[in-house]
Amino acid sequence: MLETINLSKTFKEKKAVDEIDIYLDDGESVGLLGPNGAGKSTTISMISSLLKPTSGDVKLNGKSTIKDPSEIRKVLGVVPQEIALYEELSAYENLHFFGKIYKVKKGFLENRIQEVLDMVGLKDRQNELVKTFSGGMKRRVNIAAALLHHPKVLILDEPTVGIDPQSRNHILETVRKLNEDHGTTILYTSHYMEEVEQLCDRVYIMDHGKVVASGSKDELLSILSSEDTIQVQLSKSSDNLLEAIKAMKPVRRVDETSDGIRIISKKDSSILNNLVHAAEKEGIQITHFQLEVPSLEDVFLHLTGKSLRD
Amino acid sequence: MYPVFMAQWMKDKRKPYIILLFIGLSIIATLIFGDIDRIEQTTAMVYSTEPNAEAVEEKWLEGLNGHETIDFIISDKEEAHEQVAEGAIDVAIHLMENDYRLITSSDMPNIQIVEQYVHKVFTEEAQLEAAAGDGNTEKLRSELDSYLENPPIQVQTESIDGGEIPNYDMGMQLLFGFTLFIAMFTIGFKVNGISGDKVSGIWNRLILSPVSKTNMYIGHLLYSFCVGFLQMLIVFLIFHYVMGYDLGNLSMILVITAVFTLSMVSVAMLITGIVKTPEQFNMVYPSLIPMIPVISGVYMLPGTISNPVLQFIGDMFPLSHGVEAMTDVALFDAGWNDIALPIALMLLIGVFSMGIGINMVERRK
Ligand SMILES: Nc1ncnc2c1ncn2[C@@H]1O[C@H](COP(=O)(O)OP(=O)(O)OP(=O)(O)O)[C@@H](O)[C@H]1O
Ligand SMILES: [Mg+2]
Repeated sequence: MLETINLSKTFKEKKAVDEIDIYLDDGESVGLLGPNGAGKSTTISMISSLLKPTSGDVKLNGKSTIKDPSEIRKVLGVVPQEIALYEELSAYENLHFFGKIYKVKKGFLENRIQEVLDMVGLKDRQNELVKTFSGGMKRRVNIAAALLHHPKVLILDEPTVGIDPQSRNHILETVRKLNEDHGTTILYTSHYMEEVEQLCDRVYIMDHGKVVASGSKDELLSILSSEDTIQVQLSKSSDNLLEAIKAMKPVRRVDETSDGIRIISKKDSSILNNLVHAAEKEGIQITHFQLEVPSLEDVFLHLTGKSLRD
Repeated sequence: MYPVFMAQWMKDKRKPYIILLFIGLSIIATLIFGDIDRIEQTTAMVYSTEPNAEAVEEKWLEGLNGHETIDFIISDKEEAHEQVAEGAIDVAIHLMENDYRLITSSDMPNIQIVEQYVHKVFTEEAQLEAAAGDGNTEKLRSELDSYLENPPIQVQTESIDGGEIPNYDMGMQLLFGFTLFIAMFTIGFKVNGISGDKVSGIWNRLILSPVSKTNMYIGHLLYSFCVGFLQMLIVFLIFHYVMGYDLGNLSMILVITAVFTLSMVSVAMLITGIVKTPEQFNMVYPSLIPMIPVISGVYMLPGTISNPVLQFIGDMFPLSHGVEAMTDVALFDAGWNDIALPIALMLLIGVFSMGIGINMVERRK
């Protein structure tokens, strides 16, 4: 129902978003993953009609939203990356204000405010000023403000950065319920792989303004099916051994971890033997050995060369 | 528009101190600086220690009484000295048959005025007595008085249209000047709320809502207007009804206030457009605004600033026009025709600044 076609944005010389194609089907929950500066927020701004693309298009049910954004604005709820609230007002007053702005009918507004407050679990704190709230509570009000007008599509831009686990769980639970119980279509942006794994049917991975991979969790994991991740613990660390492993043919990369080394290698049965021999030669014992099942985190690392969290 | 307006009001309702402070400041500044050329009433105690003290006191008191701002009261030496020593009065005068001494504990400007005046009275009396010689001083005095009632040369000052020339009341100019000047701060900080909303992301939420952009601006600007206007209204009402200042035709003053506020909201919008962030505005605006009354000559008698460049810069801001129109109404009973030009100029400044300002704010991203 909502799709982008060759969507691009260039700021001065910098290509922030580079010809991306994304689509959202009705009732789907889709994740948009990417490291800092990947272009996630810029993409969201263009989808939500706040920013004009340099080229490309955004279509809602086949109709371009760029000339006339009124349709998409009606169906959209946007939770911005920043806390877009009046800190000097209470949670209730903020919601009342945004409810009026979104023209929620007078008779329904009061009920609706209590409903969304309930969803984000702040009903009993509604009369306190937002500036006295913790970061997590502010984020929850920030989400509530985007829900007042029953949006069909909810776009959340990193709604869980820098908050306590309790608030985070609450937010994830709220989003899940919106998607599963109310049929709200979700576009969820995050740095955190496990959130996206938990919430989303499909995932787009962005880096340097481009979509570098997309698909369901299994599809993404299959990218790594030709590789093994091996976690090894050694009796002592040794640069010589590290070099020897790196020199092995199927090995793609070797990283030192807190308790040993991690090897990413093409699937190859000879690797285990070679590893044992190399260690023996250096007089080092392998104390622990584990063949890891790849995670989306590994997919991300593989695609972008960056860890998700900085 | 209405919710935007109300949200601003709810924010301020919780902390109205700044506005109250500004209202107080407008009044205090006018009282402190506006009274410079108004001399307060001074009391001087007079006494004599001559044997015929009463006669001496009576004789001089007759000549001395008649000054607008100095009251002379008869007392005795001890009492007068004590009062001066305590600072209850500024000056006492020891009267003698043909001479006097001033007793004072400080050298304040009003003592010089007393001294000049007493000196004049004594000199005139001495001249009169010298002219009368051995003759009758009293007779000469009454002859002189009746002669002066119909003097040979009569000078009369008329204004160009034949009316009387009232004294230019600098205090009134400062009253309007300070009140408008301080309101410029209030207005500016409120208009800056637009930038604040943009930075916080609230503005984006409004854009995505069914509220039109025009209504978003009007909500903010109307609120800035109302707060600025209300602040000045309260100050003027206090001056007019509580403190007994005569502001002339109050409804005309309020119309000028409204036009000035409108114009100043626009200028603040222009400055909002020029600077990049609300923080920058909070630095630039308070450093720029205090220069405007100086350049506009609000602290000086009209006509003091003759540098055409400064005059031109001053005229680009609504302050000089607003103060001019208000003093014209308050001091010279100006009618609508007389203040049409400053009002038109303020509106012109308003239209231009608003147009350019909103354009610049919209273009910034
Ligand atoms: N208004 C702008 N002017 C110039 N460059 C911009 C602007 N907005 C974003 N950029 C640049 O575009 C790139 C993408 O930014 P964007 O905010 O979309 O990234 P992001 O994926 O949301 O990152 P983050 O995880 O930090 O929020 C960045 O390099 C950023 O510096
Ligand atoms: Mg972002």
